[in-house]
Amino acid sequence: MSSSVISVISRFLEEYNSSTSTKLKVVDAYLLYILLTGALQFLYCLLVGTFPFNSFLSGFISCVGSFILAVCLRIQINPQNKAEFLSTSPERAFADFLFAHTVLHLVAINFVG
Amino acid sequence: MALLRLVSLLVFVLALEAQALTPSHYLVASDVDRLQAVLSQPFTDLKSAYFSVVGLSKLGVSVADSNDACSFIKANVDSSSIEALFYAAEASQAISSCEIHVSNETRDSLHAAVSEDSTVSQIHQAVSALSSLGLPLASQEVVINLALLGASALKAYLSITCTFDLAARLDDLGGVYLQFEEGLEATALFVSAAYALSDHVDMEPPLKEDQVIQLVNSIFSKKSWDSLSEAFSVASAAAALSNNRFHKPVVVSAVGPSGTQEGGDLHVTDVLCQPLSSANVLVESATSVASKAAILSQTPFTLRDGIFELNFMASKPASGYYQFSVAVTGDSRLVANHVELKVKVSTKVAINNMDLSVVDKDQSIGTKTTRVEYPNKGKASFIADSHQNFAMTFQLVDETTGVELTPHQTFVRLHNQKTGQEVVFVAEPDSKNLYKFELDTAERKTEFDSISGTYALYLMVGDATLENPVLWNVADVVLKFPDEEAPSTVQSKNLYVPKPEIQHLFREPEKRPPTVLSNTFTALVLSPFLLLLILWFKLGANISNFSFSPSSVLFHVGHAAMLGLMYVYWTHLNMFQTLKYLAIIGSLTFLAGNRMLAQKAVKRYSLHHL
Repeated sequence: MSSSVISVISRFLEEYNSSTSTKLKVVDAYLLYILLTGALQFLYCLLVGTFPFNSFLSGFISCVGSFILAVCLRIQINPQNKAEFLSTSPERAFADFLFAHTVLHLVAINFVG
Repeated sequence: MALLRLVSLLVFVLALEAQALTPSHYLVASDVDRLQAVLSQPFTDLKSAYFSVVGLSKLGVSVADSNDACSFIKANVDSSSIEALFYAAEASQAISSCEIHVSNETRDSLHAAVSEDSTVSQIHQAVSALSSLGLPLASQEVVINLALLGASALKAYLSITCTFDLAARLDDLGGVYLQFEEGLEATALFVSAAYALSDHVDMEPPLKEDQVIQLVNSIFSKKSWDSLSEAFSVASAAAALSNNRFHKPVVVSAVGPSGTQEGGDLHVTDVLCQPLSSANVLVESATSVASKAAILSQTPFTLRDGIFELNFMASKPASGYYQFSVAVTGDSRLVANHVELKVKVSTKVAINNMDLSVVDKDQSIGTKTTRVEYPNKGKASFIADSHQNFAMTFQLVDETTGVELTPHQTFVRLHNQKTGQEVVFVAEPDSKNLYKFELDTAERKTEFDSISGTYALYLMVGDATLENPVLWNVADVVLKFPDEEAPSTVQSKNLYVPKPEIQHLFREPEKRPPTVLSNTFTALVLSPFLLLLILWFKLGANISNFSFSPSSVLFHVGHAAMLGLMYVYWTHLNMFQTLKYLAIIGSLTFLAGNRMLAQKAVKRYSLHHL
């Protein structure tokens, strides 16, 4: 049982390494970073309690928001999805990504207190 | 032995009945004197002379020194002013043997004033002056004048308004008062004008009887007057209400402040506090409030020295409250001539058969019964311990008639001489109106705080209809309680000592985690960034393609500035300032970024489509 899981995972990783372009791997690395940051924040909150609750929420939601925006960016710049995003060029996707991040950061900084 | 019986009647005027309104505010003799005193002030100018002289004449009093007044008026009259002529003319008419001579020019100017161009008050003053000076008037001028008396009271009116319409403008306040919103003076002048007009045209004024009484309440509710004109207006209203052909309000009041006189004596007067000598005052019915039995019916009052008297005591009423219905007849003009009065008959109480005894709980028969006579004190003190009850019985009777009474307050008070503590109980009557009081020592020990000792026993009897409330030290009682506790004196419950001080507890700050833990986690949270950099490096991400075009430089600078602004917002700024800076930097960055990305797109397109 465990061996099949391991084999599935290793197969998956192989496929991933071969078929994804570097550009997408860069974005994936960024996604992993955001994920880890959010998870660590959550862990801290579980350990210590939610004393400055607004700060915790601000940090956590900014991680979640960034993750979502990065996923959107990844989807939009993936050439395999080009058919669904005919009007959106990768540059346009990146510009949207930046603008949305500005708004997210503004709100998060406002809320962190 | 029975004391001489003195029964007194207390008469109150009931304020307002639903059916017939009676005046609740009226002038008494002292108010009329005060009004006269206000109007008798020395004159300062012609207008005040007018108010004083004419006001006093309305009260039926002549001014103090009529010759002086006359010469004052003559000296101060200004022939060119219609108003001055009006004051002088009216005042001189009120003083007997005082004549003002007017020249022909003055007379002509007065006639000329009665025209369409003049104001209402001017016309009124001119016509009044002409009539008071004895000069001939055109007949329509007379009617205009009287109609305008009412209008000039409300100076806001510039056109001729009939008094009948004015009556509709009166405000009814709570069913008690009826007045103009302009105030007392306007209402009083309206009343005098309305009755003058009604008398002249021989038509009843459009006021219902209730409204007349409400007007009386409004006008005479103020007993001290701010200005001479106000006093004058009240005096003219009082004169109008006393001497007109249609309505004459009647004021019925008790004689004396508390009215304690033998027989029911009443003042029956008009609003100027003059007794109505020609009136017949009759008690239509007198019923007892408690038993609803009629005591008197259709009994007349007799007039003596301006006071109407009734010998109520001849019918020997029992003590209590009685409702009298009094009617004043004799003049068809009388208004509010049915009055309801509440009369109280009080009496003296006597305490009979006061028996004190100490009863053993085991037996129901008393061991000793002592009779004490009022107002003596029982010689021996009574001892009661926890096995015994102390009992007291007595009767309360009316001194003269011997009828048993049940007053409102019958209390038994036990007062400890040493500690100052007192306990009060209520004595209840049984079905035969015999009062009983029993003290169960064991049961009541909590009220006494179980303090044994000598208690003085008092009997307190009181009622609204009793003339002699009783506080009688009957005897001394020694009470012995079981389980006496240590405290010897009772702490008097002093409520007015300073209470213990409350220390304010400031809000304690929340518990924080230890700094080590926080720092650890800060480092931990920042560590994935390192991981990111490592991964990117491994993937081969680089900035070798960076083109140093001005738009891309500007874009990156702008973007860095925006991130810096976020930090500054966190530390220093508020949202509005941030938005302002963000708008500036953001628009620059946007433009630069747009340019840069467009260039990139062109490059990519050309690369792919080669």
